[in-house]
Amino acid sequence: MDKKMTPLSKLFLLVIFFILYAPIFFLVIFSFNSGETMYDFKGFSLEWYRELFQDTRLLIIVLNTVVVALLSALISTIIGVLGALAIHQAKKRQTKNTLLSLNNILIVSPDVIIGASFLILFTMAGIKLGFYSVLLSHIAFSIPIVVLMVLPKLMEMSPTLIDAARDLGASRWNVLTKVIIPFIIPGIFAGFFMALTYSFDDFAVTFFVTGNGFSTLSVEIYSLARRGISLNINALSALLFLFTMLLVVIYYFITQRNKVNGMGVRKH
Amino acid sequence: MNSTIIQFTQVTKQYDNDPPVLNDVSFKIERGKFYTLLGPSGCGKTTILRLIAGFTEASKGEVLFNGKKINHVPANKRQVNTVFQDYALFPHLNVYENVAFGLRIKKMKNAEVDRKVKEALSFVNLKGYETREIREMSGGQRQRVAIARAIVNEPEVILLDEPLSALDLKLRTEMQYELRELQRRLGITFIFVTHDQEEALAMSDEIFVINKGKIQQSGTPIDIYDEPINRFVADFIGESNIVTGRMIEDYKVEFVGKEFECVDQGLNPNEPVDIVIRPEDLEITALERGKLQVRVDSQLFRGVHYEICGYDKDGNEWLVHSTKKATVGDEIGLYFDSEAIHVMRHGETEEEFDRRLEAYSDVDTNGK
Repeated sequence: MDKKMTPLSKLFLLVIFFILYAPIFFLVIFSFNSGETMYDFKGFSLEWYRELFQDTRLLIIVLNTVVVALLSALISTIIGVLGALAIHQAKKRQTKNTLLSLNNILIVSPDVIIGASFLILFTMAGIKLGFYSVLLSHIAFSIPIVVLMVLPKLMEMSPTLIDAARDLGASRWNVLTKVIIPFIIPGIFAGFFMALTYSFDDFAVTFFVTGNGFSTLSVEIYSLARRGISLNINALSALLFLFTMLLVVIYYFITQRNKVNGMGVRKH
Repeated sequence: MNSTIIQFTQVTKQYDNDPPVLNDVSFKIERGKFYTLLGPSGCGKTTILRLIAGFTEASKGEVLFNGKKINHVPANKRQVNTVFQDYALFPHLNVYENVAFGLRIKKMKNAEVDRKVKEALSFVNLKGYETREIREMSGGQRQRVAIARAIVNEPEVILLDEPLSALDLKLRTEMQYELRELQRRLGITFIFVTHDQEEALAMSDEIFVINKGKIQQSGTPIDIYDEPINRFVADFIGESNIVTGRMIEDYKVEFVGKEFECVDQGLNPNEPVDIVIRPEDLEITALERGKLQVRVDSQLFRGVHYEICGYDKDGNEWLVHSTKKATVGDEIGLYFDSEAIHVMRHGETEEEFDRRLEAYSDVDTNGK
């Protein structure tokens, strides 16, 4: 920023961030409460965390969530990259724009609608609601995100790079593995992490398509909260918050590396 | 041995229903020479290059390489390498790996790769730059990497697509020398695409002047400069004064209302023609001694010479390159030799033109 911030604007920023983060910190602080309520901090204790780690059911749910997130992110990254390549290679401008619009509609359409439509689809197709239905729907809503993260990198790539590789004897497969993929790898990583976070904190879609005996964290926390507040939810939320922070940090480092790599790629 | 390496026979390239980019083009390229495809942007010169490289296929006609038809051979199976306008260096690889790219594709042994890459880099004076990243290289250095990457594969033909256009003037002139020198040392065919006529004249063994998807004229730089076939070539190659005239009879031509002696013959009597006189063939002299009389309109100092622009009484513009200075507003005489007059027939094809030129030299040798 060129201009120095006035004390007033600094204060404003501070207040805004405080308002945004206060509920989270409130939650985290009370996870260390030795008492049982959210309004009366009796003393510091790790009791709730101990209870959390003894709750095998909850731990299995955490594991489910992580597995679904990793798997769906991985698969949707592969499909999304292929999709982005296909959109990029579309010769006609109209086809390209149509495909891109169809992709974007999926991103902006409300989760509730996507969840409900998946529920109808799965019941009609006779797929049992559970792990696979959740995984499939997570893959489905992550693909458009990956496409959107990868496509700009492809657009940024000069088409002569591909010509040059062909010219030097590269087969189509060589061009893909030795030129295109290395060029768009930052976009692929970004897409993967976005898909990971989207899957991780999805509630609406999962809520619709999950069945008996299978649950993810967001759905579980929701049902726990409805039953009555127990502070091990706080402990769980605190851990989740920490994990999300970690993802953000990783994402930050990827984009940083991306910036360095991106320099001098193309002459403008 | 057959010296022809690339041949186009009646090649047409057309996209959908647009007018053709290349229209019925035929030519031959010989081994070991430096060719230049010269023309304004959008004339089809880059299309010819892309057809040779295999990035695009001809709509009609045949492309032959070493006598074999290669219309449908994909780019990665062709014995040619290209230096691109934007260099197209791989940003994720360093200098060494960029040059080694083609060899690695061929699965060559590491020791062999190492030897060839080092040799190619020293050929373009980039020894010691192996581990540099592409983004750390200047424009001229990137240019050299691109050339090294092409020559390391030992192709029979190297295609250069306006490779100097992104460089500044001084570097460009330097690279012109280097490219020409490189071609001589390697002894392989270079096909160079440019819109810069000075570059074409300075570097080529042979120039193809292209306009609107047709080859207008081909020949050595001197031929093309001295004997342009039509208005377009005369105007595109160097500065020129072009006026309309009339061929009265052999060795006699009329323009700007006067009769002049010339060296051209074999045209129909009273045939309308275009006359070209190069600005450096015009000499400033006293008003009464001049074959033409013009009033000086403007004068620019160009370093090597003055560029003087004047108008005769009919309003024709005359451009003069002279080391002598003139005074703006003065009337001056312009003198020129009869050889300086170049007569161009309307709508003459290259074959007819060549036949006519040959006829002159026959007359010359017979007469002496």
